[in-house]
Amino acid sequence: MSGAAKPRPIRAGHDGPATTVPAFRATGLGRRYRGSWALRDCSLALPAGQVIALVGPNGAGKTTLLHLAVGLLAPSTGQAWVFGEPVSGASALPRVAFLAQDKPLYADFTVAEMLRFGRLMNPRWDDDLARRRLDELDIPLDRRVGRLSGGQRTQVALTLAVAKRPDLLVLDEPLADLDPLARHDVTRALMAAVAETNMTVLFSSHVVSDLEGTCDWLVVLNRGRIQVSADLDEFVSAHRLFTGPDDSADTVADGHQVIARSGAGRQVNLLLRGTAAVADPRWTGRAAGMEEIVLAYLRDPDLAALPRPTLAVL
Amino acid sequence: MLWLTWRQYRGQFLATAALLLLLGAVFLISGVEATVNVLRDAPPGCPGPGAGCRDVNLALSERYQLVYQGFGLLPLVGPALVGAFWGAPLIAREYERGTQRLAWTQSVPLRRWLLVKLAVLVAAVALGGLMFSAMTSLWLPIFAAVQPGSFASPDTFNATGVAPAAWWVFAFLLGAAASAVLRRTLPAMAATVAVVALTVPVLVLTQGWYAEPMRAVVSGTDELVRQNALLTGEAWVDGTGREIGGRPEETCPPAPGVDVSTPERAQRATAACMTQRGYQYVVFYHPADRFWRFQLFQTAILLGGGAAFAFATMAFAWRRRT
Repeated sequence: MSGAAKPRPIRAGHDGPATTVPAFRATGLGRRYRGSWALRDCSLALPAGQVIALVGPNGAGKTTLLHLAVGLLAPSTGQAWVFGEPVSGASALPRVAFLAQDKPLYADFTVAEMLRFGRLMNPRWDDDLARRRLDELDIPLDRRVGRLSGGQRTQVALTLAVAKRPDLLVLDEPLADLDPLARHDVTRALMAAVAETNMTVLFSSHVVSDLEGTCDWLVVLNRGRIQVSADLDEFVSAHRLFTGPDDSADTVADGHQVIARSGAGRQVNLLLRGTAAVADPRWTGRAAGMEEIVLAYLRDPDLAALPRPTLAVL
Repeated sequence: MLWLTWRQYRGQFLATAALLLLLGAVFLISGVEATVNVLRDAPPGCPGPGAGCRDVNLALSERYQLVYQGFGLLPLVGPALVGAFWGAPLIAREYERGTQRLAWTQSVPLRRWLLVKLAVLVAAVALGGLMFSAMTSLWLPIFAAVQPGSFASPDTFNATGVAPAAWWVFAFLLGAAASAVLRRTLPAMAATVAVVALTVPVLVLTQGWYAEPMRAVVSGTDELVRQNALLTGEAWVDGTGREIGGRPEETCPPAPGVDVSTPERAQRATAACMTQRGYQYVVFYHPADRFWRFQLFQTAILLGGGAAFAFATMAFAWRRRT
């Protein structure tokens, strides 16, 4: 990275139609625990109607950001809104559903009692949807929640969240602790629910490969700071991987934003951003995979890809 | 919210109802048994203060000593149980199981969730306390002659009238505040029991301060005790009405040859000597008709504390959201 110019945040992705209120918006959002910052200076706007993935290594502050978004946590600095309403306000609560990482349910309730809980606690509750979903999943209503399998419990918790009929569904690591089959089932159920209800989904994951083919918008969080917030397709296509001889690498890199540089000996790989082509015929370029781009960003917390104009108006 | 509160507190509702039923059964059986076995053959006017009643009084006391002792613990045990099992789990159990992340992300805002729960449970606990008080009030008169009156004894004072309800509500809200601060059920239970165990004796000992005590020159306290008065102090005064300092034994040391083999005899001898020298025995007391005034005063103290705990519960739950 030594030869590269210090990367500057550049505009990546669209900001959505100007008339749409962002599903989630934050300005200067930060949260401190006993002196150390779990999340700092987070400003972003997430478009409505999309599936948004929040990725980052363990301890990056994903759960903190999600808890701030649903009002479970009060911010130390800054503010956050859901569809323009302050989070944790009485008017925002019915519009947001949250599925916490450990899928909390009342273990001594039966599944039917959990549905009753959902119905009594939520004015927009869709009882038919909930019962149909559980029926399709063969989850008996008279079974105690504590006696369900892990996958079934996740499905009940997800049903509870979806039947609330939220405009924004927030899920914290929904696929962690699930076996491959259950992961597949839950992902499919989630995608079906999205297609059916047109809600915005914000979910976190530390497994980047989970995102392939499921999400529209990508947010990368690293060491408590937002690194990337961009339309996934535009973000991926804005990066190219070039391979060429070591002696001309600095010349090629000059004037471009180098995201990553790797390779030993005479051959060097450069991950460049915003570059159509390299003139030097000894260099070959190819499209980069999402996973390798994200990993490159995570390795260098100083890199950023944020929609600057959005930041300016916030 | 009503259903949810009931569903989450079903165990407490049923256990409390069962314990109250059990207590009622003990009261009923001991009351009926006392009436049948002891009081049926008692001479007229007995049990009572009359000299002819001594045997009946003794029989009644001995027969139900265990019940009395158990009963004497209830003003302490009742609030401790209510605080530990109704109050302490309120929020701590949610935190421990992570279900606050479920409960507080539904459409009901946290403040309303907490307010409804507190209100419903306070009502339930107060109702339980009143039921306990009603049962005690029906049971106690049977033993009135051999038990201190409901005003004079802190045990019965805190088991009758509105005192049990006030104590239970206080303990519940104390437990709720402990659960909001500590966020763990067991430590919250321990803290609640500790504070209840501290508050009960403090309030019992300071009860006499609720009003200016009355003063009377008497020859002995038996009559006042019989009238169910709450005694708060005693003194010897000289002819000018001035209280004498120090113990009466210093003024009237036992003369040689006087029988002082038991504390009672020594006391009687000292009293006789003091009277002979022109001193008067004065007691300070609250007459029995101040019962309700004291009950309401204590209730105001307990409910004031309870309101502070309720406020602390709300403030901590709201501020330390995680």
